[in-house]
Amino acid sequence: MQHAPTADAALETSTGLDNRKLLMWLFLASECLFFGSLIAAYLLYRNQSIGAPCPSDCVIDGVTHEGLFDIPFTSVSAFVLLMSSVSMVLALAAIQRADQRGMRVWLATTALLGMLFISGQAFEFTEFHREGLSLSSNLFGTTFFVLTGFHGAHVTVGVLILLSLLVMAFRGRLNQAQSLHVELAGLYWHFVDVVWIVIFTLVYLIQP
Amino acid sequence: MSVRKPGFRLLLTLALVLLALLLAGCDTKDPQNTFSPVGDVADDQRDLFNLVLWPAVVILILVEGLLVVALLRFRRRSPDELPKQVHGNTRLELAWTIAPALLLMVLAVPTVASIVELGRAPSADALKVTAVGQQWVWSFQYPDYKDAQGNVLTVFGTPEEPPEMHIPPDLEIAIQLQAADVIHSFWVPKLAGKKDAIPGRNNRMWLIAREPGTYSGQCAEFCGLAHAEMRFVVVVHENMDDFQQWVDDQLSEEAAAPGTSGPVAGRYGE
Amino acid sequence: MARLTMGQRAVTMVEALRMAREEGATYRGIWSWITTVDHKRIGVMYGVTAFAFFLVGGIEALLLRLQLATPNGGVLDADTYNQLFTMHGTTMVFLVVMPLSAAFFNLLVPLMIGARDVAFPRLNAFSYWVFLFGGLFMNASFIAGEAPNAGWFGYANLTSTTFSPGHAIDFWALGLQILGIASMASGFNFLVTIFNMRAPGMSLFRMPLFVWMTMVTSFLIIFAFPVITVGLFELLFDRLFEANFFNPAEGGSPLLWQHMFWLFGHPEVYILILPAMGIVSEVLPTFSRKPLFGYPFVVFSGIAIGFMSWGVWAHHMYTTGLGTVANSAFGISTLLIAVPTGIKIFNWMATLWGGSINIKTPLLFAVGFIAMFVVGGLTGVTHSIVPSDYQQQDTYYVVAHFHQVLFGGSMFALFAGIYYWYPKFTGRLLNEGWGQVNFWLMFIGFNLTFQPMMISGLLGMPRRIYTYPDGMGWDVWNLTSTVGAFLIAASVLAFIVNVIVSMRDKRPAGADPWDGRTLEWTIPSPPPPYNFAEIPTVRARDDFWHRKYREDESGRAIPVVAGAAVEEEHAAGEHHAIHMPSPSFFPLIAALGLPMVALGLMYDYALVAAGAAVLVVGVYGWALEPASE
Repeated sequence: MQHAPTADAALETSTGLDNRKLLMWLFLASECLFFGSLIAAYLLYRNQSIGAPCPSDCVIDGVTHEGLFDIPFTSVSAFVLLMSSVSMVLALAAIQRADQRGMRVWLATTALLGMLFISGQAFEFTEFHREGLSLSSNLFGTTFFVLTGFHGAHVTVGVLILLSLLVMAFRGRLNQAQSLHVELAGLYWHFVDVVWIVIFTLVYLIQP
Repeated sequence: MSVRKPGFRLLLTLALVLLALLLAGCDTKDPQNTFSPVGDVADDQRDLFNLVLWPAVVILILVEGLLVVALLRFRRRSPDELPKQVHGNTRLELAWTIAPALLLMVLAVPTVASIVELGRAPSADALKVTAVGQQWVWSFQYPDYKDAQGNVLTVFGTPEEPPEMHIPPDLEIAIQLQAADVIHSFWVPKLAGKKDAIPGRNNRMWLIAREPGTYSGQCAEFCGLAHAEMRFVVVVHENMDDFQQWVDDQLSEEAAAPGTSGPVAGRYGE
Repeated sequence: MARLTMGQRAVTMVEALRMAREEGATYRGIWSWITTVDHKRIGVMYGVTAFAFFLVGGIEALLLRLQLATPNGGVLDADTYNQLFTMHGTTMVFLVVMPLSAAFFNLLVPLMIGARDVAFPRLNAFSYWVFLFGGLFMNASFIAGEAPNAGWFGYANLTSTTFSPGHAIDFWALGLQILGIASMASGFNFLVTIFNMRAPGMSLFRMPLFVWMTMVTSFLIIFAFPVITVGLFELLFDRLFEANFFNPAEGGSPLLWQHMFWLFGHPEVYILILPAMGIVSEVLPTFSRKPLFGYPFVVFSGIAIGFMSWGVWAHHMYTTGLGTVANSAFGISTLLIAVPTGIKIFNWMATLWGGSINIKTPLLFAVGFIAMFVVGGLTGVTHSIVPSDYQQQDTYYVVAHFHQVLFGGSMFALFAGIYYWYPKFTGRLLNEGWGQVNFWLMFIGFNLTFQPMMISGLLGMPRRIYTYPDGMGWDVWNLTSTVGAFLIAASVLAFIVNVIVSMRDKRPAGADPWDGRTLEWTIPSPPPPYNFAEIPTVRARDDFWHRKYREDESGRAIPVVAGAAVEEEHAAGEHHAIHMPSPSFFPLIAALGLPMVALGLMYDYALVAAGAAVLVVGVYGWALEPASE
């Protein structure tokens, strides 16, 4: 049975945790296995890819091919995503102290930064594609696009959730009593951010 | 004990099963019978199975027997009967945790020893054969034997006629497994357990045949439409000379009719 | 009738939907089933649907057995055979055993913990509809003329478009993705329910063992399914978009598929058996009138099995050439996983020992479970003797093993559960005479079918062959198996007869026909929509039993006067104060989007967009609709 998310709803449960918060944590735990499997596939296949394009400079049949990765660029977009987590925290803090305007500002900021990250991904992918990388080009293309693609899809869903929350806010339906919605969105958003940190480190920064 | 009691039927079924198992082991005629091995590897595998089989049978009879006894002895005799409410016994729990664990670890020792022995690299003077699996026919190559043009001796099969892998007895055969398309598995039960042929991978196994004869084998990994028909035969010659004679015959035949078509196993099964 | 404007039509539709929802709340008519969020109804729907798929999978099996009854059989050609064995396995695992378990989770967990429903009733309904649509989607492949045909574990790279052109494998992979969503949603739901909605006084160690097994199973589901989800995405990307995950030509490895599949697949088989073990752990104490022996140990062994199930997956891959170290490690871990399983068996036997055993059909199936599971477990131990497994792998010996544990094990236990809880949810008992016929036919038929397979397997008969030549020594065993299979079919008919007979039986079963121990027996049969008029306060494990009987110093049970008093039927309408979750369309609507997307990916991308839109509409409608009004 679900009422409006008040502090009381949580106290009625055997653990004291709101049902929906527990659900979100369990969901995120299962998502660890999801991304873990994708990352494992990427790492297992790291040195098996045949032919160009390659992530970093590689020599094939005596010809040197320039690596695709632009670490400075990707670092900036990673930073953008990281900052979006900060704004998300601020949004939650705002609504928890009943600062409706503050929440709207920070929610919008988070969504914007998220969209900026996605744009960066889109730009990067387009560049790579121009260089010949695709799902079918070679093993690197397959594993890279599937891993980062699924992550990007998760960020996109997150942005949609944030925009939906903003719409709710503008309709006057997202007040201090409903702060749990913002908290849950925040949990999801931080998780997606942490996954990116792992991907960025393992895929971009640590080259064999 | 009346026929209607639950225990009788159970025991009867079990007895029949055990009898059948014993009978099965006795029939050496069955061409793929793992209980009548003719090679070192299959011997070892059969011995290991017997090692675990008998304790398993004993445990089975004990457990099923206790079940039957419990049902007979403790069946409800009156509707108000209330037995003593026993909640547990920690000593018993420890006993039936530790004892099985120990028994299983005892079994682990010969198991691991055998894994190591069977998984070792083939010896340097083993006879090399490459078994190539391709939908839906096997072929066998002998890298040590080439004809005048330098072509490796290859035996092909057709769906109607399974290919024959000829080997001498009492000599270690080092088999390389290759797959030209999808995963297959090379299995000649009387000589050795199976090993998969996986595209892009070089699996290997060794075996030693001890008795001359013709032994039946087939693909043991589902590989599509005619998987059931992907059979082959291992012909173990009387002795090394006999085998060498066969090799010479094959090579001269090939010289007479060159240009065979058939599967080519590249590095990635292309 | 006046012609309506667009706006007026829209209003009328909304009105109609609302009226249907209100009618749904009255628990009458077809709308009440379509919009239900009641765990008991959802449980019934799961059970009935799963049973229908059981019949489908069973007929597939009979056809296979007819083909294999004689050497060089001419009943089925290779292509048909390959489709049937694939669908038989896929159906039985994903469309029968899992949903039957889900039926029991749904029917029992809220009642056993003293709750009125699960944590997320609409998510619950969503799980059911997704399961139904997933099962229908997968079987629609027969209508398309190309059912999946690469085995229930679909090894790469046979499943690539090169070697499996057409849509057969797409049906399989997409169908499993859909079914995975249903299972995961269920897993999350029951975990939150069990952790958060227990009645006052019901600590974790006072929960019925079935609830514990539901919890462990749910953890396994939410952690194992993401792995196969990724594997299936990889396969689908290879097939639909020419990716290279399993393409040897580009450096991909077919072995990666096996690792991913079995990392999921091994926990999956424990997902299939743990609920069954939970059922047996409830039936045996009731029919022995004794508590479950060693309850904490049975709980811990279940948890241990849950953890250890992650460390044995490569025992399905001993013959793939992983190397000596890997084979040894997995051999040892597989040997060890027998230990917690053994603990359970010994505790069950100790429960029976010294009891007052009421030999009725539920008990027969529960004991049959133990008898058959011991055989299955022991053959499992023989598999972990790795070099011996090089002979056993991919033969009928393995087929015997897993049918022993999944049929002789899971299905027997599920039948025990059906006979045990049928009176609670229908208000009448199943006929005991027909129950005995059902059990004995099934027990004999089962053994006749699968024990010979141990022999034919060790005589060298591989799996998944549509025919075999004569002179292999396999003939008599295969014929026996076929006869046994038809006996099983007869036993299922006996069960169906039993259900029909019981529907005509007017005698009410009453709230507590078996002298049960757990909370579900304290409420009327069938239960009212709100389950408990008053949420009980729990004072002990097997709380109901302890209300009926107290223990003296020597452990003898003594009946308590009026302890068995159960809640009386209250006239409908007396409990308006209890707010139950409202019925809803949106779970079904959202669920409908999924097979649309799947079909679209195979045939027409416009359908993908349409399906996504339906999904989004369903989800938004769901999110914005109040849970109860």
